Amino acid sequence: MATVSITINGIGVEAEVEARTHLADFIREHRNLTGTHLGCEHGVCGACTVLIDGAPARSCITYAVACDGASITTVEGLEDDVSAELRDAFSREHALQCGYCTPGMLVSARDAVLRLPEPDDREIRVLLSGNLCRCTGYVGIVRAVKSVVADRRARGIAPADASGNPLGPVGSAHPAGRLTGGARGGRTTHVSAPLAVSARRDSRPLEEWRPQVTIEQRFIVHHPPEVVWAFLGRPEEVAACLPGAKLVGTPTENYIEGLLRVRAGPIAAEFAGSAEIERDVSHYAGMIRGRGKDNRSGSATRGEIAYKLSPEAGGGATRVDVTVGYTLTGMLAQFSRSGLIRDVANRLTAAFATNLEARLANGSLNQLPPVSAAELNVVTLVMSVVRDRIGRLLRRMLGQRKGT
Amino acid sequence: MKPVAFEYERPADIRSALALIGRNGPITKILAGGQSLGPMLNLRLVRPELVVDITRIPQLKSVEQSADAITVGACVTHADIEDGRVPDVTQGALPSVARNIAYRAVRNRGTLGGSLAHADPAADWVSALAAIGAVALIASSTGQRAIAVEDLMSGVFETVLGQAEILEAIRIPRLSVRARWGYYKISRKTGEFAHAIGAVLDDPERGVCRAVIGAIEAKPIVLADARPLFRNRVGADLEASFDMEVAEDLLRSAGLADPVVRQIHLAALRRAATKASHGHRLHHH
Amino acid sequence: MAAQGVGASVLRKEDDRFLKGRGQFVADIRLAGMKEVSFVRSPLAHAKIIGETIPDEDRPSVFVATDLRSVKPIRANSGLPGFKSSDQPVLAHDKVRYVGELLAACVAPTRAEAEDLGERVAFDFDELPAVHDMLQARRSGTALLHEHWGDNVFLETFVDVNIEAAFDAPVKVTREIRTARQCMAPIEGRGAVAVWDHRLGQLTLYTSAQMPHINRTGLSECLGIDHGQVRVVAPDVGGGFGYKGILLAEEVCLGWLAMRLGHPVRWIEDRREHLTANANCREHHYIITGYADRDGRLRGIDCEATVDSGAYSAYPFSACLEAAQVASILPGPYDFPSYRCRTWSAATNKCPILPYRGVARTGVCFALELVLDAIAREAGLEPAEVRARNLVRPEQMPFDNITKKHFDSGDYPESLRRAVAAIDLAGVRERQKRGEVDGRRIGLGMSIYCEQAAHGTSVYAGWGIPMVPGYEQATARVTPDGGLELRVGIQSHGQSLETTLAQVANEILGIDIAKIKVVHGDTEYTPYSTGTWGSRCIVMAGGAVARASQEIAERLRVIGANLLQADPEAVTLKGGQLVGPQAAVSIGEIARTWYLRPQDLPYGVHTGGLEATVGYRPERDSGTFSYATHAAVVAVDPEIGEVEILDYVVIEDGGKLINPMVVEGQIYGGLAQGIGTALYEEMPFDASGQPLASTFSDYLLPGPTEVPAARIDHMETLSPYTVFGQKGLGEGGAIAPPAAIANAVNDALSGLAVEITQSPITPRRVLEAIGAHTIERASAPGGQAR
Repeated sequence: MATVSITINGIGVEAEVEARTHLADFIREHRNLTGTHLGCEHGVCGACTVLIDGAPARSCITYAVACDGASITTVEGLEDDVSAELRDAFSREHALQCGYCTPGMLVSARDAVLRLPEPDDREIRVLLSGNLCRCTGYVGIVRAVKSVVADRRARGIAPADASGNPLGPVGSAHPAGRLTGGARGGRTTHVSAPLAVSARRDSRPLEEWRPQVTIEQRFIVHHPPEVVWAFLGRPEEVAACLPGAKLVGTPTENYIEGLLRVRAGPIAAEFAGSAEIERDVSHYAGMIRGRGKDNRSGSATRGEIAYKLSPEAGGGATRVDVTVGYTLTGMLAQFSRSGLIRDVANRLTAAFATNLEARLANGSLNQLPPVSAAELNVVTLVMSVVRDRIGRLLRRMLGQRKGT
Repeated sequence: MKPVAFEYERPADIRSALALIGRNGPITKILAGGQSLGPMLNLRLVRPELVVDITRIPQLKSVEQSADAITVGACVTHADIEDGRVPDVTQGALPSVARNIAYRAVRNRGTLGGSLAHADPAADWVSALAAIGAVALIASSTGQRAIAVEDLMSGVFETVLGQAEILEAIRIPRLSVRARWGYYKISRKTGEFAHAIGAVLDDPERGVCRAVIGAIEAKPIVLADARPLFRNRVGADLEASFDMEVAEDLLRSAGLADPVVRQIHLAALRRAATKASHGHRLHHH
Repeated sequence: MAAQGVGASVLRKEDDRFLKGRGQFVADIRLAGMKEVSFVRSPLAHAKIIGETIPDEDRPSVFVATDLRSVKPIRANSGLPGFKSSDQPVLAHDKVRYVGELLAACVAPTRAEAEDLGERVAFDFDELPAVHDMLQARRSGTALLHEHWGDNVFLETFVDVNIEAAFDAPVKVTREIRTARQCMAPIEGRGAVAVWDHRLGQLTLYTSAQMPHINRTGLSECLGIDHGQVRVVAPDVGGGFGYKGILLAEEVCLGWLAMRLGHPVRWIEDRREHLTANANCREHHYIITGYADRDGRLRGIDCEATVDSGAYSAYPFSACLEAAQVASILPGPYDFPSYRCRTWSAATNKCPILPYRGVARTGVCFALELVLDAIAREAGLEPAEVRARNLVRPEQMPFDNITKKHFDSGDYPESLRRAVAAIDLAGVRERQKRGEVDGRRIGLGMSIYCEQAAHGTSVYAGWGIPMVPGYEQATARVTPDGGLELRVGIQSHGQSLETTLAQVANEILGIDIAKIKVVHGDTEYTPYSTGTWGSRCIVMAGGAVARASQEIAERLRVIGANLLQADPEAVTLKGGQLVGPQAAVSIGEIARTWYLRPQDLPYGVHTGGLEATVGYRPERDSGTFSYATHAAVVAVDPEIGEVEILDYVVIEDGGKLINPMVVEGQIYGGLAQGIGTALYEEMPFDASGQPLASTFSDYLLPGPTEVPAARIDHMETLSPYTVFGQKGLGEGGAIAPPAAIANAVNDALSGLAVEITQSPITPRRVLEAIGAHTIERASAPGGQAR
């Protein structure tokens, strides 16, 4: 808990809050000012927009502790003449129906009236674009704002000048200092007890399952197939090639349990699970089928890695074809930007191939470098490949043009 | 959803901030304006044990001008750029970019440094500042290092910033008055994240011709020397000399396999070139 | 007093509290001792539940299916022959059937702590193949949601009116048409606060709902307690659109928790829950063939329609209302001789489907109107001409159409003519010939619909769902100071009924609307009603208020005549006064006398007093049919696939408009949602049934810059069956836009021989249709950039 001092609608307030309490919850739950509404808590819909030190900001993605010393104005505290004119105009132009988006809309509308000199419809709409209304189709809202601006400019009231405002995020222009009592949470973030390992078999034949994403990689290692084959028969070696993977317990030749930690910047997930291994020595082909879940996010993944070895260079080297297929379910899957997740999976696969190649190429298979570093380097590695390719291309183009 | 419980510190200066993040213990996340981190915290996608709020550090909100550049603290906001509170040395280029980032209420808290450090490929500054040739100044307990913005991001949500480093400021070069700038962002609606970004800067007096293809769900493609894109005819009509094939090859080389995706990125880049060509500095899409 | 009665654009009585941030929404309610509830939801679309792990110390605060054994599942059967019943457990046991289905309820002092609890609860599953698509659901050999059914079809319907007669038509076009699954996305989600009152022996559930009496009936059934032990209050509700017209498993669970725990509990749906667990509307698939003569006269429509109904039959509308309606309303406002339609309500591993503003009409309008344009292109006719040739004509009204829908009134061709003029069809065609300097392509599209609304007993008895509307009741009560209280069982959440119902009473009684209070949304204070749905309120509740006001007027006349010492036949109510031959007396004076000075009245004057509850049902309750023509001009950027709406016209006939300002607000708002359906909104699912959007950054709602300032023109053809001739029209704005916009896009792209038949029309769909790789890139200098 931390003690924060915030001025809300002109009244100074000191309160104990958890660091994770966002400003909207603080205003609503601690101060009972329920006019500020939550519509998404992702900073998109605008229903929670309030004034922080006089400027509109999202109270759902601003934490109360970060507003220490700041002055907040909610819809209940909008008492200036602009707000009164806007209220009349909103009613006159039927700019609200259910009224849920209205408090945030008024805050943004006020900003439009104060700052835009002589806005046309488009400028007003752009300025209000961070406030969603599901009822009115915005027509009345735009009319209301337009009429208030026009009226004020006609009365000779000039637009506000924001050039003198302090730099930095609104609400931050107050001496830093330590929060009273420090901001120690009442509880610490815990990682709960060992994650339940769900290693149930699927209730349907395996061939029915199809991965949703498939990534293929191919590379050559300078060892004969039988050496590579033997290497791939040792689960702990294989696991060591997969960044973030850790075996749990004693692996057997065809069954392993473990953890896979996957990171995309600040997002981290830890999948606990198991895998079954099948190997067909007559074709030098193997298949690893696994599944795991990240309990905290309720996400799970299921995947298979198929590999096949073929002799190269008269049997002195081996071509390894790896196909990784996976399906992701739960929270981490439920975003439209699947390309980002795919990017992570791509990088993992590329790293697996690189590490495998590196460990095999190392020559001394028993004395291998630690792999953990690879976790962070995957991106750089893949991107450097791409950058090189682009660089080559550009050099070629430059050269060509100069030559002609 | 509400975030996981975390501890919160708000250091008053960089040294204290570095000390906090340098501790070998809790999972720590630096918080600037929090306009990208906030949603991720609320969704519990990000689960820090300690959040270090750097927005009260005066140094990170300061601005310093020199003859050839302006150095802007990492905690300066999009609105600070938009409103001209930070002197513009880019002939209107950066204010016009700032004006079209997300929404005003977000721009009032979202920061340049936060955006670069968050490294969302669809973010405007990741592409725009790379195109303008800005440099990131990075502080650590052992000193400061400078790297080009284009080298800062390493992948989706990933940068080369170490755990014990803070992005302190961004140095933005002063463009010559003859500089030409074009920036084109394709979004399905106002304020939505970009599906494609094209940026072109041609500043012959400084010998600079740069281009960026951004929002490719990976680190943007930065052409520090973009002359091949214009058949090496810089100084000419950039629009007329724009070479679609070179651009297309670039996209293919970067692994953009989907023809629809390539198409919109090509369009964004070509339209950026057109804007640069026509000197549409103050017009926005 | 300025006119405040029927037809006046008076400002809204409800505005003041909302503009000051003093509305009271369910999340604003805090009760002493209240705790927060967070639900653990299924991360999988289809799986057997093997077991759960709950840390011992958390067990008292976590509730799972085995704890709720006494609670009955939610069941909504249809009486239509062949309907297969599903039981939706309040908390899942044995099996989960969609992502987001409830598994456990976690109770803690704050929501954050309740979520912390939820993270410590783990369920183990045996994953089953997901039925992620409605067409896949219908195929044999697919996994079964409800094993004992033997297939995945809730209901199949079939109608054939002489379709063979159309087969020799010279023009025949067939299209496969699809609409995306959507979220209704009111800005306020759902939510509930439950508290057990020991004194009254009553559960009170505050809930963001649009049909509180139905919620009460459902809660009573599921919890096994009397109606008298349940009070449901829908306070201010932040938008509904159909989303809040359902009995929620969450509501039942909250009620049970309040009874079990003895302290109030609150659950507020967050946006992630809404998007991932409740994308529950609009998903249709059509294979539709239009038969026509060369002159565009329709000979017949033949259609196979599938509706993705999701995993369970939702209470009270059931899983098949949507598909069954498709068959009956597909013919639209047109008159043609042959028709065949087969429909399937397919069960899939998605959340149960609910009727969203426009219900099935948005889908059928899209399908039919796209086919009409295809016929026009095939026959080389102007699409407006094809429509003009087939619309039901005013002289045919009232008209019984091919599916026995009884169109009450209207002049459909006139709305089309006005739309053609308003959108300047000729001017747009000229502009198209000239071309655009920026390289974009211009297109014009139209669509017409008629909207059956306020349909009552005779219609719903046929569907046989748990809820059939009958007489709508209203209570009117004059207060001692001459004010009026109106109590109605519907719920107003943006429709402005606190104002418009007051206008209705004002029309009859002349009481200033400032002194008329409309009480709604509380089962304790209002007569039973099926609630707010089906664009019914202004017809049904408006009718009931009119009848109750008339009854009050009669009593005022009888009582007041005594005060005027006049014959009751010789006095009339005028401007809030009872006017007799010699003198007048105010309603306030009559009321004061009745309540406080009864000695001034003779014995037995009117024992009913100044309070009356009266039921209303139109003599003919087959519904009113408002209608409209929408016309859109769009610009399509063929290089990036972007669609911009340049102009939009709505010619609407809602019968008598009680408050034209409010009507326009409904049209504008519906239009914005229709634009969302047309261009932006889609919840994609992957093959394992995972919803692929969980924020408003993934699921795009139209914002201020995406919605044009449309132009609206009204016609007012009175309905012969309602009190003032008014018609229901709340949904109409959301019906026509997807079709009009798609037709406009297809008109724009006709030169490229491209046709889009799937909504939303995203840039990707446009570019893929055009064939991204084949586009000519070398456009003229100064070309595309804007």
